[in-house]
Amino acid sequence: MWDKETAERTYHRIGILGWILFAFLMGLFLRLWYLSVLQGDWYRERSERNWVRIIPLQALRGNVYDCNGKILAEDLPRFRLVLLEGSMKVEEARNKVEKVLGRGLGSEFREIAPGEIVLLEDLSLEEVIKVEEAQGDLPGVVVESYPLRFYPASEAFSHVVGYVGKVTSEEFKSLGPLGYEVWDRVGKGGVELFYENLLRGEKGYRRIEVDALGRVRRVLENHPARFENSIVLTLDRDFQEYCYGLLGNHRGTIIIGKPSTGEVLVLVSKPGFDPNDLVKGLSTEKWTKLTQNEAKPFTNRAVQATYSPGSIFKLLVAIAGLDEGIISAQTTFFCPGFLEYNDKHYYCWNRTGHGTVNVEKAIAHSCNVFFYNLALRLGPEKIASYAQKFGLGVKPDFDLPGVKEGFLPTPNWKRQARREIWYPGDTLNLSIGQGYLLVTPFEIYRLLCGIATRGKIYRPHLLKGVLDSKGRLIKDNRAVLEREIRIKESTWNLLINGMKRVVTQGTGYACRGIPVELAAKTGTAQNPHGKDHSWFGGFFPVENPEITFLVFVENGGDGSGEAAHIANDLIRWFLEKRGVERGRR
Amino acid sequence: MGEDKVLVAVVVALCLVGILAVYSVDPMRGEGWGVRSFFGRQIIWNIAGWSLFLFFAFLDYRFLARGGWLFYLLMCLSLGGVLLFGTGDETGARRWLFSQSVQPAEFAKLFLVLFLGFYMNANKEEFDSYALLLKSGVLSLVPVALVFVEPDLGTSLVLLITWLGTLFVCGFGGRKLGVVFGGLAVLGSSGWLFLKEYQKKRIMAFLNPWKDPLGSGYNVLQSQIAIGAGGLTGQGWLSGKQSQLRFLPARHTDFIFASFCEQTGFLGGALILLLLGVLVWLSVRIARNALDLEGKIFASLIGVVFGFQFFVNTGMNMGIMPVTGIPLPFVSYGGSALLVNLAMVGLLYNIANSRRKEVGRRRFG
Repeated sequence: MWDKETAERTYHRIGILGWILFAFLMGLFLRLWYLSVLQGDWYRERSERNWVRIIPLQALRGNVYDCNGKILAEDLPRFRLVLLEGSMKVEEARNKVEKVLGRGLGSEFREIAPGEIVLLEDLSLEEVIKVEEAQGDLPGVVVESYPLRFYPASEAFSHVVGYVGKVTSEEFKSLGPLGYEVWDRVGKGGVELFYENLLRGEKGYRRIEVDALGRVRRVLENHPARFENSIVLTLDRDFQEYCYGLLGNHRGTIIIGKPSTGEVLVLVSKPGFDPNDLVKGLSTEKWTKLTQNEAKPFTNRAVQATYSPGSIFKLLVAIAGLDEGIISAQTTFFCPGFLEYNDKHYYCWNRTGHGTVNVEKAIAHSCNVFFYNLALRLGPEKIASYAQKFGLGVKPDFDLPGVKEGFLPTPNWKRQARREIWYPGDTLNLSIGQGYLLVTPFEIYRLLCGIATRGKIYRPHLLKGVLDSKGRLIKDNRAVLEREIRIKESTWNLLINGMKRVVTQGTGYACRGIPVELAAKTGTAQNPHGKDHSWFGGFFPVENPEITFLVFVENGGDGSGEAAHIANDLIRWFLEKRGVERGRR
Repeated sequence: MGEDKVLVAVVVALCLVGILAVYSVDPMRGEGWGVRSFFGRQIIWNIAGWSLFLFFAFLDYRFLARGGWLFYLLMCLSLGGVLLFGTGDETGARRWLFSQSVQPAEFAKLFLVLFLGFYMNANKEEFDSYALLLKSGVLSLVPVALVFVEPDLGTSLVLLITWLGTLFVCGFGGRKLGVVFGGLAVLGSSGWLFLKEYQKKRIMAFLNPWKDPLGSGYNVLQSQIAIGAGGLTGQGWLSGKQSQLRFLPARHTDFIFASFCEQTGFLGGALILLLLGVLVWLSVRIARNALDLEGKIFASLIGVVFGFQFFVNTGMNMGIMPVTGIPLPFVSYGGSALLVNLAMVGLLYNIANSRRKEVGRRRFG
C-alpha cells in the first residue's frame, strides 16, 4: 500500500543504501592501502620472482695439456634445450619439441636449477636453428650453451687424465659443503680428480627478464662462468698414444719417465675406455657392461693392480747380496739346471743349466740357481728390507688417486697371518720374484729409476706446471729428490753391467741393434690362470740415463717375448721422434 | 556546482582514466591508432556512449518508463537469442550476438533497471506485499537465469542484486527481506552442485589462492602482486612488469584496475576508487532528492548496479572478492558495457536535472 509511511521508508532506505556503499568504499581504500603501501615491498619482491630469472651457468674447468702443449682435456661449448617451468607443461613441451626436431626426447628430464628443466643436451647446430625458428610455438623453451668436457686423445689417457661426471647424490654429502651442486661436474678419476681443486672453475649466473610466456626479453646482468687454472702434465701425448697402440689387443701397461726428475712421460693401461662417452652420460646398460667387463677397463693397471714381478725382482736380490757383501763380482755358483735343497729340486728356467755363473752373467741370463743360492745366504728379511728401500710395498707419493702398493712377504707376516712357518722354499720363490710377493708395475718402474740414477729417488709426478686463466705459467713443478739410497758404487756398476748384458748377450735379445746403449731386465711372472705375464724394463742411455721404461703385458709369455718386442718399438720411436742428448752410438 | 554537473565531470574523468588505462596495456599499441587497437576502439565506444548519454539525459524519463514492458520483452528476446544464435568466446561461454559485437547481458542491466522502476511504480499500492515480492521476483529471475546459463555468473549476479536492491529501496519489511535472503542462501549453497568446474575452482582459489598459484589461484595472486608492486606512487607510466610482461591476465578488461595500480600506485588506484565512490554517492543523493518514485527507484538502482560492479571488480582485483567476470564501470575495455553505463549516467543526469528544473519552476514560476 502506498502511503506517506511507505514513502518515508523508501526515503530512509535510500539513506541506508548510501551508508552501506560508504562502508564498502572504506573497506576498499583500506585494502588498497594495505596492499600497495604496507605490503608493497613484499609484493614487489614476488613480482620480481615472476619476471627475473637467474640462470646458473655451469663452472668452466681448466684445460689439461701435455708437456708439448697439446690438449688432453678441454671444455667445448655445446647447446642444450631448457624449459623454464611455469611457461608450459613438461609433457606439452616434449611433444612440441619432438615435432619441431623430428626425433624423440629421453624419458627423464633433469632439473639443472630450480624451475629449469633440461629437455635435450648436445644439440646440433641445425637443431638449434630449428628451435630458434619455432620460438613462437615454444614459449619458455630456451637454447642455452654449456661446457662439455672433451678428451681428444680418448682411450689412451682414460686412466691417467680421468674424466668428469655429475656430482652423485652420495658424493653430494661430502662435496655439498664445498659449494658443489648436484648438477655440477666433478673429476671422477685420474688428474681430473686429483687436481680437482686446480681445475674446478667458478660458477657464473645470468639474470634475465622474461615475460609471462617465458620468452627472454633482455639480459639484466651477465656474470660469466670462469676457470682459474689450467694444468700442464709431464705426459707426452704422441708418445702415449703410440704406446697405447703398441699394446694392441693385449692387456697391460707401459710406464716411461725421466728418472733424474721424476717426470712421467707415458702411463698407459690397457684396456681403457672412452671418457667422452662417460661425460655425456652412459645408459645403465652400457655402464654395467663397462663396470662388469672381466678385463676391468676402469683399473689403472700401472698403479692399481698387483702382479708377481718374476725375474725382474732378481735385480733387487742382486743389490742386496752385493751390498751386504755376501757375494762379490768374483763369486760364482754352478748351475746344473736345478738346485737340490732338502731332497727337493728347485729348477732353473733353463733346465740344461747355465754352468758357472757370476752375478753379471746371472742377471744377463736370469739364472735362477744363482739367485737361489744367494737368497739362501741372504735370508728373506734382508731382501724385504732392500725392497722397501726402493719403495716396494710402500704407497708412493704420486699425483694420481687410488694408487696401491704391492706386498712384501716376511717370515713374521707368514707366522702371524697364516700361522705357518717360513720354509726355505719360500725364500727360493721370493728370490725369483714368485710366491707371495706382489708388486704394482709402478713399483718396478721406480726400482728401475732408482738403479738408473744410482740411488737418487726423485718424486714421481704428472704435474709439470700450473697456468693461470690467461695461460701464463704460475707454478713450475720442479724435481724433488725424495731420498737417496746409499749403495756401494761397485754394486751399481756390476748391476748395470749385468743389465747391459741382458740386451747384448742375454734374455733381452729382442732389443739388440737399438742405436743407444741400453740396460734392461726381463721378467716372467708365472700365472696359474693362463699364459705367463711378461715384464721388460730398463733405461737408456746407460752412461747418463734419460729415460726409464717398463712394459708389462698380461699373458705376454716370457719376458724376452712380447714385452721386449714392444719395448724395442717404443725405444726406437722415442729415439727417432724425441732423441736423447748423449750416449747415442 | 549542481550535482548534474559534478556527475558529468566525474564520469568524464572516469572515461579518460579508462582510455589511458586501456592504452597502457594495449597489446596492439605498437600498431598505432587504428581500429585494431583496443584503446582506439575504446575511444569510438566512448563517442557512441556519450551520444547515448545525451539521448537518455534529455528525453523525459517518465516517458521512457512507460515503455517498461517493451524493455522487458527486448531483454528476454535478446538474451534468448544469445542462447539460440549466440557466438561463443574463448572460454566456451555464449555471450555474444552479431558475431561478437553486442553483449545482450550488458544491456539487460539497463533494461532490468528501467523495467523494475516502471513495474514497481505501477504497483506501488502493493508495496510490502508477498504478492508483489513474488511477481517481481519471478519476472526478475527470468533474465537472471537466462544470463546464468550462458554462462555468465558475474552479470547474472548483477541482475539479481538489482532485484534485491529494488526490494530494499521499495521498503519491503525486514522479515520479507530475511525470507528472500534465506531462500537465496539455500539456493546458492545447493547451486554449488550446478556450478561449472571452473567456477568452483575460482571460488576455491579465492579462499586460498596459494594452494594452486600457477593454476586456479593465478589470477587472484598476480593481480594482488601487481597492485602491491605498484607501491605508493607506482612503477611509472607504461612500465609495470606484471602488466607489460603479461603476467597479469585480462589486463585490459577484468584486471585493468590492477594494471593501472601497478603503474600509478596507491595514488592512481585511490583516484579510481574516489571517482567511482563519488559517482555512487551522487546516485544515492539523486535518488533521495528525486521528485517521484520512478526517479527514486531508477537512481538508486543505478547506484546499486554501479556500486556492486565497482566493489566486486576492485574487490577481486585486491583479492577480497572471488573472481567473477565483472568489468570495472567506464574503465574496463568493452563496448556494450560502456554504452549501457553511459546510458544509465544519462538517466541519472536526467533525474537530477528535472528536479532542478522543477525546483526552479516552483521557485520562480
